[in-house]
Amino acid sequence: AVEEGEKYWWDPAAAAAAAGGRRRELVGPGSSPPTCRSRCGGCHPCRPVHVAIQPGVSFPLEYYPEAWRCKCGDRLFMP
Amino acid sequence: MVVLGAAAVEGGDGEALMAVKAGFGNAANALVDWDGGRDHYCAWRGVTCDNASFAVLALNLSNLNLGGEISPAVGELKSLQLVDLKGNKLTGQIPDEIGDCVSLKYLDLSFNLLYGDIPFSISKLKQLEDLILKNNQLTGPIPSTLSQIPNLKTLDLAQNQLTGDIPRLIYWNEVLQYLGLRGNSLTGTLSPDMCQLTGLWYFDVRGNNLTGSIPESIGNCTSFEILDISYNQISGEIPYNIGFLQVATLSLQGNRLTGKIPDVIGLMQALAVLDLSENELVGPIPPILGNLSYTGKLYLHGNKLTGEVPPELGNMTKLSYLQLNDNELVGTIPAELGKLEELFELNLANNNLEGPIPTNISSCTALNKFNVYGNRLNGSIPAGFQNLESLTYLNLSSNNFKGQIPSELGHIINLDTLDLSYNEFSGPIPATIGDLEHLLQLNLSKNHLNGPVPAEFGNLRSVQVIDISNNAMSGYLPQELGQLQNLDSLILNNNSFVGEIPAQLANCFSLNILNLSYNNFSGHVPLAKNFSKFPMESFLGNPMLHVYCKDSSCGHSRGP
Repeated sequence: AVEEGEKYWWDPAAAAAAAGGRRRELVGPGSSPPTCRSRCGGCHPCRPVHVAIQPGVSFPLEYYPEAWRCKCGDRLFMP
Repeated sequence: MVVLGAAAVEGGDGEALMAVKAGFGNAANALVDWDGGRDHYCAWRGVTCDNASFAVLALNLSNLNLGGEISPAVGELKSLQLVDLKGNKLTGQIPDEIGDCVSLKYLDLSFNLLYGDIPFSISKLKQLEDLILKNNQLTGPIPSTLSQIPNLKTLDLAQNQLTGDIPRLIYWNEVLQYLGLRGNSLTGTLSPDMCQLTGLWYFDVRGNNLTGSIPESIGNCTSFEILDISYNQISGEIPYNIGFLQVATLSLQGNRLTGKIPDVIGLMQALAVLDLSENELVGPIPPILGNLSYTGKLYLHGNKLTGEVPPELGNMTKLSYLQLNDNELVGTIPAELGKLEELFELNLANNNLEGPIPTNISSCTALNKFNVYGNRLNGSIPAGFQNLESLTYLNLSSNNFKGQIPSELGHIINLDTLDLSYNEFSGPIPATIGDLEHLLQLNLSKNHLNGPVPAEFGNLRSVQVIDISNNAMSGYLPQELGQLQNLDSLILNNNSFVGEIPAQLANCFSLNILNLSYNNFSGHVPLAKNFSKFPMESFLGNPMLHVYCKDSSCGHSRGP
């Protein structure tokens, strides 16, 4: 089931813009959501949200994989 | 786009375009303006040209219901940078000549009926950034030469019939961002080389035939946001190093993973979705999973997990889906789950849980589905359940619940499934159940319910299945049941109903399955035409009931 707020989102251009430099220096196991600090191109507030990535054919009863994106208003940005 | 006068087609790209159109055969209705006559080809539908040279730069022909094949003539369009033919009905093979479109950056042939191999010639497209061939019928291997495309960012070959190994060479790519291989028939193992994809965020091999174990070095895949290796035949244990991943989605379901759930997963707070379901995992659910305070979906069902449901799961405040069903969990349902204000679905079915449903569950006001089928739970239905106004699915079947069915259940107005069967509920069926106007399935069988069927059941205008069999129900059947136009199954056997079968039941035009056997009905089975389709078995065991039938072997329905 696809809930509210989860919509098809896949923007190769935005993904490309964010490519590189994402790799984190590893200090130990574990992860945390992105902070999204100044990740929304000057737009405030900029908050991390889950977005569903539609992988192709959709089986209605399955969930889509989700990724973190930064959201300001109704615009999404790469973390 | 440039519009010229009657420039027509004088060789070059215009001629190639006409050949491409010819390839689509008779199915090119959408391309009527591709006529080689009036307008310059740069003005044709879906064609984008260079302003100065008039070379064709882009073909945008998605979702135009095009049939036929992709003509080899496409290879003559040397300046093409973008080809988008997705969502048509193209068949045949991808022509080798596509490799001659040396300027191509974006190639999307997805959602067609293309078959045959992925041509090796695609590897000649040194400018290619996005190769999207998903949802076709492509066969053969993934060409290892795809690794020779230096700028490839998106490789989406999902939902084809590709076979063979995932070539290790394609992992040695720092540019690739998206690798979609789900829904093929790929074999072999996951290579440790996969973590050489240092720019990749989407790794999806769901639904193939991959074997072997998860590489110990998986933790090096630190750029991955989505790791989906579900529905393969991956075996072995989940390695500790998985805890170094930064993923938002970790989908390992439907494999043959063994061993325990590593505690380190509880440190992966970036997880939005954690799916370890349908494996062979053993041991307890690590209480530290309660740390995953940003996780919305936790699926651990279909394993061999033991021990109790950790109360710490109540700290997963963003949880909307919690499925722990089909394990070997013991103990009680922790009251702490009542803290999950966003919980949408709670499935604890088919475990060995005991004790009552904690009243706190009534605080999960977002709850839509609640399933505790097949445990050893007892006590009564908490009165607070009437606050669960979003509930559409309530299954308490096959437990040891007792007491009366609370009349407040009738307030859960969105219920489409109410299954209280195989318990020890007693007393009457409250008339308020008739308020559940969206109810599709009502199963109250195998309890100790008594009293009559409320006449208010006539208001269950959506209901398809009513099963009250094997109780101690009595009285007359209300004629209002005849109002149920969607009723498919009415199963009332093994009770103590009396009186005549209401003739109005013949008005239930959808009724396919009727079981009134082993009651004390009397009089005659209604003569209505659509009643004659029900077999003798529908009426057996009612000694006072007369059944009309065609052969002479029957008359009364005494049963065996």
